[in-house]
Amino acid sequence: MSDTEAELLLQLSQPAKRAKAFSTIVRTYQERLYWHIRKMVLSHDDSNDILQNAFMKAWNALDGFRGDSQISTWLYRIATNETLTFISNKRMRSTSSIDDVEENLLRNLQSDTFFTGNEVEMKLQKAILTLPEKQRLVFNMKYFDDITYDEMEAILGTSTGALKASYHHAVKKIEKFLNPESNND
Amino acid sequence: MKNNEHISLNEIGNKIPFTVPENYFEQFALNIESQTKEVTIPVRQLLKPWMFMAAAFIGVLLFAKVTYSVYSTSQDKNNENYEMYVMSQLDESVVYDYYVNNDNSN
Repeated sequence: MSDTEAELLLQLSQPAKRAKAFSTIVRTYQERLYWHIRKMVLSHDDSNDILQNAFMKAWNALDGFRGDSQISTWLYRIATNETLTFISNKRMRSTSSIDDVEENLLRNLQSDTFFTGNEVEMKLQKAILTLPEKQRLVFNMKYFDDITYDEMEAILGTSTGALKASYHHAVKKIEKFLNPESNND
Repeated sequence: MKNNEHISLNEIGNKIPFTVPENYFEQFALNIESQTKEVTIPVRQLLKPWMFMAAAFIGVLLFAKVTYSVYSTSQDKNNENYEMYVMSQLDESVVYDYYVNNDNSN
């Protein structure tokens, strides 16, 4: 644990300094967590709601946080759970087919003014949306953020071996989606 | 993009193809700060309910005292009236006999 993190933990345990320490945490991790969520739900408004919920959950759970894991790991875990809950709630609300959520996400992305990618990047997003949620998480964390497998293991609670296999399969599926004509097998 | 062109992940790169509204992160942090600000309650505000309860208690006491004094005054008046009524029903000889008999028995 770094000195800064130890100092923050100490301040979090003191009621008078708690709000200020939490503000430092928000300002330190908000961007990383936002992009982590945004890559999963694609919409800015949804990402904003999920990020707010995640931070408020963290704030309300501060008394239970003993510093067993790093603050970033703890926050990533909360944000990931919030994101998966959001997607599963959306899935439950959608009445017709199981693919509706992903189709909706894609439709929203195509009309999203905050999407700045080119044609190939749009195709990559489409490919990523074909992956199961957990595999999508693993792919995004590794491919875009280059998070180490050890960190991912701490956040997702999945063994490094399983994460490596999941990423490998995800890459294969995406390359196949991007190049349907070529034989990848 | 040509249809037969091979696309590899390495070529696409890992740049995130999204943006956020201007000043979004600054506004977001301020919003969270406003929700997590420690609420400091002034002493006067803390005392308010206690002061209200004490005033109500004193009010009830005063009301009880006034009610009781009115009640006891009217009770005394009633007793006095009754005594005068009893006395008015007796003639002087009966009262005289009563005192004489009392003196003899002592």
